[in-house]
Amino acid sequence: MLGGRLTFRERFDWPLFLGVVLVAIIGVVNLYSATSPYIGAEGRSGLADVYVSQVYWLVVGGLLAVLVAAVDYRNFERVAYILYAGGIVSLLLVWVLAPDIRGSSRWIQLGSFTFQPSEFMKLLLVMAVARYLADDPKTEPRTLFDLAPVLLLTALPVGLVMAQPDFGTSMTFLLTVIAMLSITRIRKASVVWATLSVGGGGALWFNFLAKDYQKDRIYSFIDPEADVTGTGWHALQSKTAIGNGGLWGEGFREGTQNQFGFLPDQHSDFPFSVFAEDWGFIGSTLLLALYCFLCVWAVHVASQAKDRFGAEVAVGIGSLFFLHSIFNIGMALGLLPVVGITLPLFSYGGSSLVTTLIGFGLLMNVSMRR
Amino acid sequence: MTLLVQRSDVGEFRRRYRWLITVMMLSFLVLAGKLVQLQLIEGDVHRTQALRNVIGEIRLATTRGVIRDAHGQVLAANRPSYNVYVVPEQLEMERGWPRALKLMRLDPGTAVQFDERIKKLRAEDSNKKRQQILLAVDVDRDVVAALKTNEADLRGVQVAPAPVRYYPYGSLGAHLVGTMREIDAETLAEVDGLGYRAGDRMGAIGVERRWESYLRGQRGWKKFVRWRKNQHSEEREQRYLEEPREVEPIPGRDISLTVDIELTRAIERAMRGQLAGAVVVLDVRTGRLLAALSKPSFDPNVVSGGEGKQAVVDAFRRLYADPLKPTLDKTISAAYPPGSTYKPFTALAGLAERLITPKTEVDCRGGYEFGKRYHRCTGVHKKVDLYDAIVQSCNTYFYSLGESIHIDRLAQIGLDFGFGVKTGIGVNPEARGRMPTRAWYTRHHKGSFRGGFTLLSAIGQGASTVTVMQLGLAYAALANGGTLYQPQVVRSIETSDGTVVQDFPPRVRRIIEMDPERLHLIKRALKGVVVERQGTAHGQRIAGVDIAGKTGTAQVSHVTPKGVDPDKVWYFNRDHAWFSAYAPADAPEIAIVVLVEHGGGGGTNAVPIAMRVVRDWQALKAERLVARTAARDRDAQGSTL
Repeated sequence: MLGGRLTFRERFDWPLFLGVVLVAIIGVVNLYSATSPYIGAEGRSGLADVYVSQVYWLVVGGLLAVLVAAVDYRNFERVAYILYAGGIVSLLLVWVLAPDIRGSSRWIQLGSFTFQPSEFMKLLLVMAVARYLADDPKTEPRTLFDLAPVLLLTALPVGLVMAQPDFGTSMTFLLTVIAMLSITRIRKASVVWATLSVGGGGALWFNFLAKDYQKDRIYSFIDPEADVTGTGWHALQSKTAIGNGGLWGEGFREGTQNQFGFLPDQHSDFPFSVFAEDWGFIGSTLLLALYCFLCVWAVHVASQAKDRFGAEVAVGIGSLFFLHSIFNIGMALGLLPVVGITLPLFSYGGSSLVTTLIGFGLLMNVSMRR
Repeated sequence: MTLLVQRSDVGEFRRRYRWLITVMMLSFLVLAGKLVQLQLIEGDVHRTQALRNVIGEIRLATTRGVIRDAHGQVLAANRPSYNVYVVPEQLEMERGWPRALKLMRLDPGTAVQFDERIKKLRAEDSNKKRQQILLAVDVDRDVVAALKTNEADLRGVQVAPAPVRYYPYGSLGAHLVGTMREIDAETLAEVDGLGYRAGDRMGAIGVERRWESYLRGQRGWKKFVRWRKNQHSEEREQRYLEEPREVEPIPGRDISLTVDIELTRAIERAMRGQLAGAVVVLDVRTGRLLAALSKPSFDPNVVSGGEGKQAVVDAFRRLYADPLKPTLDKTISAAYPPGSTYKPFTALAGLAERLITPKTEVDCRGGYEFGKRYHRCTGVHKKVDLYDAIVQSCNTYFYSLGESIHIDRLAQIGLDFGFGVKTGIGVNPEARGRMPTRAWYTRHHKGSFRGGFTLLSAIGQGASTVTVMQLGLAYAALANGGTLYQPQVVRSIETSDGTVVQDFPPRVRRIIEMDPERLHLIKRALKGVVVERQGTAHGQRIAGVDIAGKTGTAQVSHVTPKGVDPDKVWYFNRDHAWFSAYAPADAPEIAIVVLVEHGGGGGTNAVPIAMRVVRDWQALKAERLVARTAARDRDAQGSTL
């Protein structure tokens, strides 16, 4: 199925592959540092071993990525809507099957492990939207009416995930789709209308639907010092950890904020803070550069894509990766409110990791079939 | 492979990629900018905060100085006591914590309360759950033992020593030695900068309060690194801790009092038949306080918190409700009319003014008419001279003198002998007492002064009031020929190993100029009070007790005190009984003043107490002399061998 002119070696996207592998390795090593305070700790020593399961998930995700990369992505284009429908069903299943973890239902139990349908839904949404935009090669600027199907495709998972409730994830859905639309031509008036309606919707959500803890997070983001023992405490401790890293860092597994247990949820929400404390400004800047490279490279892959679907998928995946990174690191740096958004390849979590790797598999697919 | 070269079939997206990449790069630049701010610009601030998170400080307790009496008997010391603390985060909620609650033998209600409090703290995502929380104060020894033996299973439960003040002699001399109290928020603000912390105890009254700064000592501290759940790591301590890492506590200074607790005990024994009163014994040659007792007293162990906070509250509620005022130090903090014990001073003033001579006689017919009033005497004394008048305590003689002397002259001699001003003893709040002058009466008695006031002043009644301590010092001055001392309670201050840091020599306030012959007459009369058959103390003398003094029966204004049972009002209307004396009569060493509040006649009620105290003092003196001689002989033998 590969085009005849170039060999596999030539077509293989080495920068993408090496970038992902490098970040993934750093991520696992950092996860080890992040959870090392639990070594030998009574009751929670299980956490000290999560980096091992993270390696397992890397292997699983890697294999899936190879599979996804091997099949021509145009096959995915064909079944995009069906996959999307399956995703919506699994989101609905959450309500039936999911155990309630910390006040929200996000997981589905499958045998001995749980998975988070909303993670996979991200890719399915990207493909469905890409399929619609690929099928509609308009040359004149699109109106809101033209985009109605896209908005519907987006609104469904956004609503379902918001209801779980998982504000962070539903926002990534929305923003990813906006990013994908941003490379299409849309009428200016429509953009204005859309912006106003999203803003108005947000205001309505905040006033009538937002849970108290979500409001607390936003309030505490606005004034973190006001409630140092509650939500703002996380952000404050994270900033302290990063600042403590200084120029060169405290050294691997030497970051005191993490090692002494001042960083909350350091393996899921604040792995960047652990890294920044261990490796300092030098390490963190290099890491930021790596993340930035992967984001930009995804757009580059999109620009090289041979069709509209490939380009939109690449932009969608790049945006997903970009949004997760920016939100998570921004939150660790105290620039954004604390929303439970993972740092791809760094945060512990099977669903997130596998989704990210499948995403890069798709990206590789597009890249190799340009 | 060139970046951003468009293909024709995806032409719509052209040029927009560039825009997308710009947004992405700018976003990462913002993040990098924030990194610069946090790590490079504000790095030190965060580093300090992170260090503060990591470094813990243990306060090292100091020990309060011991208070001893003049002969080395311990009056206030420290008793070991244990408090229980928990660190909520470290607790094992399934097994260790319920077990700890059980071992502490709390009543179920309290246990549930604690349990809820700890669970709430654990649920919170705050720093509080990492800190020690005080759970129980002064727990039982058995509980301490049980907690210590099970230490391994009780992670997060800590038993820490917190010494409690202990007074071996209990209520004996409690007003003087003093008590402790837990520092309150208000005081804490006042003593800011002295290193007190909430929950600390400080001296509340007596020597404990006055010498607080010497007794308390200085707390030490030790810094440590909270590395991996209490694991010690020398390397990390080196890295994170600044020198000095530890400051040793400095124990408080010990204080030796001038007081003899055995003599105080003798006073307590002698006072047993009486409800309320005060006694002081002073060394006439130095002004040192040898014993002081204020009755009724209280148990300083309870008041100082040795039996828990509730016991303190209950004790004070009871003490403050008692009409006999147990909390009042009646030797220093209260002034009473001196009655006839003041007559020697009136006599000295009369002699000095030459209004009387030793030979002046007055015919006592049981009273004295002055103006429209008839002032009663204690009896019909016939013809009395000054000697007889003091021996028999004849009021008529002194009324007659009072008619001719100016009231300001009477007040002046009082001031000379230290009445009407504070003695400067420095322990407990002092009452000043009052030596009324003409000006005072004009101010306080509807603007008019009457000659009758002088008559009352002459016999120590009217508006004159004195404290037991003042009277003791004045009699000491009579005894020693006119030296008025500042009373002393503290003899020396020592370090905990016994080295004397500061010694307090006697301090003379004033040498009172007196004609020796006149003083001799007064002293002869004071001896006569005891030895003469008509002497007011004669009936209560004890064979072998060599003492000279003056009785007094001070009338009390008939006012019903608040909160007193009407059936008991008669008691509060009874006269105060006085006896002021010194011993031995001819070569005085001690002065003693006995006040029995509402005791009735001084001769029958106060004298026997003084007699018994002086008898016991003589016995103690002899006993100690024998012991000292024996010890000296032993040493002498030891050195020759």
